[in-house]
Amino acid sequence: MAQDFDFDAIVVGSGITGGWSAKQLTEAGLKVLVLERGPDIPHQSGYKTEMKAPWDMPFRGEGDEELYEREYAVQRLNRHFTEFTQDHFVNDKDNPYQTGEGSDFNWFRSYNLGGRSLTWGRQSYRWSDYDFDANRRDGHGTDWPIRYADIAPWYDLVEEFVGISGSMEGLPQLPDGKFQPPMALNAVEQAVRERIMGRWPERRLMVGRTANLTEAKEGRAKCQYRSICQRGCSFGAYFSTQSSTLPAARATGNLTLVTDAVVEKVDYDPATKRVTGVRWIDKAAGRRRSATARMVFLNAGSFNSVHLMLNSASEVMPTGLANSSGVLGTHIMDHPSTLSVAALMPGFEAVTTFGNRPTGTVIARYRNLDEMDGEGHTRGYSYQGGALQSAWVRGKREPGLGADYKNSLRGPGPWRVVLVAFADCMPRASNRITLDPRKVDADGIPQLKIDFAFGAEEHAALAQAKADAAEMMTHAGGQVLMGFDRPGTGGGAIHEMGGARMGHDPATSVLNKWSQAHDVPNLFVTDGAQMSSSACQNPSLTYMALTARACDHAVGLLREGVI
Amino acid sequence: MEGKGWSRREFAGAASLLALALGLPSAAVYLDGLDDADAPSDRQRAIMREVADMVIPDTETPGAGAAGVGDFVLLALAHGLEGARAALAPDAVSTTIRPHLRRDGSLDHARWLESTLDRAVGGDWPSKPAERKLEALATIDAQAFGPEAGAHPWRMVKGLILTGYYTSEIGGSRELAYEPLPGRYDPAVPVAPDTRAYSNEWNGVEFG
Repeated sequence: MAQDFDFDAIVVGSGITGGWSAKQLTEAGLKVLVLERGPDIPHQSGYKTEMKAPWDMPFRGEGDEELYEREYAVQRLNRHFTEFTQDHFVNDKDNPYQTGEGSDFNWFRSYNLGGRSLTWGRQSYRWSDYDFDANRRDGHGTDWPIRYADIAPWYDLVEEFVGISGSMEGLPQLPDGKFQPPMALNAVEQAVRERIMGRWPERRLMVGRTANLTEAKEGRAKCQYRSICQRGCSFGAYFSTQSSTLPAARATGNLTLVTDAVVEKVDYDPATKRVTGVRWIDKAAGRRRSATARMVFLNAGSFNSVHLMLNSASEVMPTGLANSSGVLGTHIMDHPSTLSVAALMPGFEAVTTFGNRPTGTVIARYRNLDEMDGEGHTRGYSYQGGALQSAWVRGKREPGLGADYKNSLRGPGPWRVVLVAFADCMPRASNRITLDPRKVDADGIPQLKIDFAFGAEEHAALAQAKADAAEMMTHAGGQVLMGFDRPGTGGGAIHEMGGARMGHDPATSVLNKWSQAHDVPNLFVTDGAQMSSSACQNPSLTYMALTARACDHAVGLLREGVI
Repeated sequence: MEGKGWSRREFAGAASLLALALGLPSAAVYLDGLDDADAPSDRQRAIMREVADMVIPDTETPGAGAAGVGDFVLLALAHGLEGARAALAPDAVSTTIRPHLRRDGSLDHARWLESTLDRAVGGDWPSKPAERKLEALATIDAQAFGPEAGAHPWRMVKGLILTGYYTSEIGGSRELAYEPLPGRYDPAVPVAPDTRAYSNEWNGVEFG
């Protein structure tokens, strides 16, 4: 293949979905160009701080707040942004964006090889038909053109390759999958699980399903229980582009990877009604380049894929590439999230743990399943959290000086349980991204502008989540310390999605059920931009499954000569 | 050997060899790079070192003085770690704090501490007898954690002393335990009277 074209496929982005597109398409025999806007971070040798202790770092791991205020004003708000990981996040000063009036949105980004696969939270959950049917059922957004049965075999495929450890729970709202053995609940979590289930059998506290290996896989060692994943893991024990999909794609001999390549436009040929390739800025050489291909996969991250489509407007598509519906950029979402409860859990002073488990616990959604029992909202929320022991930081809250004070901070501290709620975000037309007509970046590309606000449903869900959490902790023997019911700033869940939604109708959606543009049959958008609803569980696994599914479909179309 | 990845032992060996090859030092605290306005005086450095050591003294392990925590605190204050350079809320600005505010409304904690300690002993705090110095600091500590203390500046300084100590090699790996490569997760380990917490139990540090 690839006659008359430079490549069979161009993949824009090397993060979680870009890595999957690269792997699936190269393994199918296609010649693939992957363009990554940021620098190379090679597996193992690129993880500069991985082995360092806090005392090896100039600011002890906390980082230089003066620098962060100046250049990382948004990224520093990410809990995984530290002195150890700062080079795995974007410099906000050099990569500005705008927010609309009355909007506040923290856009957390990693512009480097592997994208946010290097820094992700690794929580991996299937969606169920409660999620794929949500828009149809309550009338918000547009109906998904797929259901669980369409994606289930693709979940199987990606789970087995990624390596996800988790427990089988038999919950229809959070389907079981192809899991490696689960990591263990600690003694407190085990007790809390039993106490909660004793009263509410449908509320299941389980260990997080996480893309950290509990068994070695080809080329990857099992987890070492350091829980410093975001620095990069030379053991390859968590799933990232570097550890997993990139080696697979490279092994085919069909991959061309170019880093420092900021794609600014996708070229569209009105005569053939096809995209023909992309143009990018070679940051290293400071010049513009282009390449052609039979098809293009956008995997730049939800907002950047949409940004690229908006910026690829042409005479025949004046409002953006594949935007005849006019909905491109609309219905963006991010999970509203807050700390629903922190509680002391007395009675476990005689027990502690060894090792750092790189996942917390989850209580799966239990509201608005077969019975509509949400107060003021029609979807769900779930909790992530866990039981942990206060470390030396507890001394910051306590009076005292001298030897007794020092000795009081020597052992493990009191046990606490924290539950952080993540709720469904409703898809709304008013939550949208556009190109700012007045602001451009250093390359002259219009900046992204984000208009975003949570609504009544999100507030109602988090209010109920707070009340439930306090009730569960009290019942489990805990003493509630605090809890919140207001969502944090948008973007805080780092699950921003939507903007090029999937749907049945080309008049009201951008993509069809194959993640393929209604308007342009050789254009695929398989990252979070394609999402039509948000569910309340972490979305990355679903992006991966939809990507593998779209790749399979695209390869079929290519072989049939349709595209 | 696990799969085709590196084994734990090989890996740990390679990592320490790498550290040797690069000659990685334990990070020293460099105050030289600070702007003149932020550079502490020798007196402030001496006071901060002594104060830190009173909070975390030598016991069976060295204390905060030996761990160099005083200079870390001054560096951290200058660079605004843990919110140290945030503008104070108006209701937090008392008559004893106001003289030490910067133009941007943030507090110069080092100057505040110096003057507060001097005032507490009615003179030159560093030259007073040890018991008198400790008494003055203990009074400030009790006030700072009292029911009506609010956002007391001593809490910021004390917090950074703790950060400095427990993230130092002495505090983080001798006073507490440090295990960079646990290799396993034990969900239920009995606590003994001499059990030391792990300084790199990150959840406990972040949420504890």
